[in-house]
Amino acid sequence: MHTNEKPIRVWDLPTRLFHWSLAASFLVAFLTSESEKLRDIHVLAGYGLAGLIAFRILWGFVGGGYSRFAEFLPTPAKVLGYLRSLLAGRPQHYVGHNPAGAVAIFLLLGFGIAAAASGYATYNEFGGHFMEEVHEVAANGMMVLVVIHLAGVLVSSWLHGENLVKAMITGWKNTRNENPAG
Amino acid sequence: MSGIDTLETAMRPVLILAALSIAAGDVALAETPRDFLIRFEKEAGTAASAERGARFFNSKQGGEWSCASCHTDKPTQAGRHAKTDKPIGALAPAANAERFTDATKVDKWFRRNCNDTLNRLCTAQEKADVTAWLLSLK
Repeated sequence: MHTNEKPIRVWDLPTRLFHWSLAASFLVAFLTSESEKLRDIHVLAGYGLAGLIAFRILWGFVGGGYSRFAEFLPTPAKVLGYLRSLLAGRPQHYVGHNPAGAVAIFLLLGFGIAAAASGYATYNEFGGHFMEEVHEVAANGMMVLVVIHLAGVLVSSWLHGENLVKAMITGWKNTRNENPAG
Repeated sequence: MSGIDTLETAMRPVLILAALSIAAGDVALAETPRDFLIRFEKEAGTAASAERGARFFNSKQGGEWSCASCHTDKPTQAGRHAKTDKPIGALAPAANAERFTDATKVDKWFRRNCNDTLNRLCTAQEKADVTAWLLSLK
């Protein structure tokens, strides 16, 4: 089965920079969320996060192969098939995003947009208490997804014997190429 | 058995839950500033002192800011955020009927603002004192 096993380039530089910048801006925003003293930093991190998501949406249409939305658009059939294979202990292998991860990515982008927009509204004092609630729910939703994402990275790295963290740093995966993209 | 009866039977738990949650919501909405004073005093185990609350509110407690840094030393007036300069509605219930009516908000803002001014949570005694002082303002 292990034909064609050689290093392949999966994540392009803009996607990797986006990923780590988004992680950093979300972490900063989350850590400063309770403080009035650090409110400036919180707002700045929020603008950063919004800008990064705007870039990622654009990059999802014009970026490199595995970064494009069309490459990892999760259909219900794909998601169910993947989850079933996961439960059976033999998860299907995807070089790019697996369908469950893809669902988390779109949710994360959606929650990110909601958090940034409701944060902007709250900071500029329109939308009232409702926007404050939306902001908190969206941010907590993002944190839940981040935790699931981290667990998924660990489990998936272990099950497939590949270092996914390293791949997101270097862009390369030393893996078999079953579903080449773009 | 008619369809409507079946539907009613099936819906009963839902209706009861809905009624209960509306009732619970009403209780939460019905909270008055005095309810918070009573609650904090009960948690502290002693009576509140409005005078002590005023001193606490208007002086720094180890941090860079006092409560008054944002809420001013006359909390019947609007305040101003010490960092962003944005207006903050008056804190004293006499001037702002929305204050001290929602436990979620009261707990949330005591937690956040105590951490900003004291670098720790407030004790029940401190909250009781401040609430007593704010309630005494006309």
